[in-house]
Amino acid sequence: MIQLKTMVNCIDNSGAAIVECIQVLRAKRPAKIGDRIVVVVQKQRNFGAEASKHAGSSVSAGNKVRRGDIRHAVVVRTAKEYQRPDGSVVKFDDNACVLVNKAGEPIGTRVSGIVGAELRKRGIWGKILSLAPMHI
Amino acid sequence: LQPIKVPPPPPSARAVCKEPLKVVDAAQIALLDPSGARTRLFSKTNPDAAKVGDILLVRQKSGEPFAGVCINIRRRGVETGILLRGQLTRVGVEMWFKVYSPNVEAIEVVQRRRKRARRARLYYMRTPKHDPGNLEGVVRQYMRQRAMLGKGGGSK
Repeated sequence: MIQLKTMVNCIDNSGAAIVECIQVLRAKRPAKIGDRIVVVVQKQRNFGAEASKHAGSSVSAGNKVRRGDIRHAVVVRTAKEYQRPDGSVVKFDDNACVLVNKAGEPIGTRVSGIVGAELRKRGIWGKILSLAPMHI
Repeated sequence: LQPIKVPPPPPSARAVCKEPLKVVDAAQIALLDPSGARTRLFSKTNPDAAKVGDILLVRQKSGEPFAGVCINIRRRGVETGILLRGQLTRVGVEMWFKVYSPNVEAIEVVQRRRKRARRARLYYMRTPKHDPGNLEGVVRQYMRQRAMLGKGGGSK
């Protein structure tokens, strides 16, 4: 249930760590898995864990977005339970999204962490599903 | 004065079937679980039943098998559901499964709890202190044991 002011984890390698939702697109209700949202990047992910660790290494090397950028994103995990037609219910421990451009293609090149299998049915997110290491 | 013509009352449904919902429920369970194995796995009277706190593995018809600690068993007849909490790629995932669903191929007990849990709903397992964490190791050990048993029985 992602809506205005919700802080969501960004689980791709586009450079954003935490983003804040400011709008749910094409729905007059909070966002579920597979919905598109407009987000503002609140925290950048520091790529200090990468090979070069000296103080001068610029953080923006691997970043495609910066703090304050407004982008579209797809919700891939919600802490709110999502019901499936066979009666099962899935619920994650956090909210997560993947940044996306206006056409629907992910900005990052890798997705880390599990995503909801709803992405297959709810729209054109096949690329994200194939990038993800796991889906449930 | 002529007597008032009173039509006879309609046939009473209660006389035909006193508790239709119970009948429907029993019929559905008989349809979805003809051998009674699933019912026995979650029955309260069975000492070998799956209880809250055990680690269960659910094999689905479509999708990967999901393993998790059972933190809740919601008994509602044919709509009985179990809540499993597992961890996948370091994210906690909770899933409700309908026990009699045709999509659920098999439910196996991977590991029983050492002692009986002192409450019926183990929601305290959501806190990092009590979270069982990644159950991959437990499941792998169970699969290996099962494979060994299978091979040992087959070779004999």
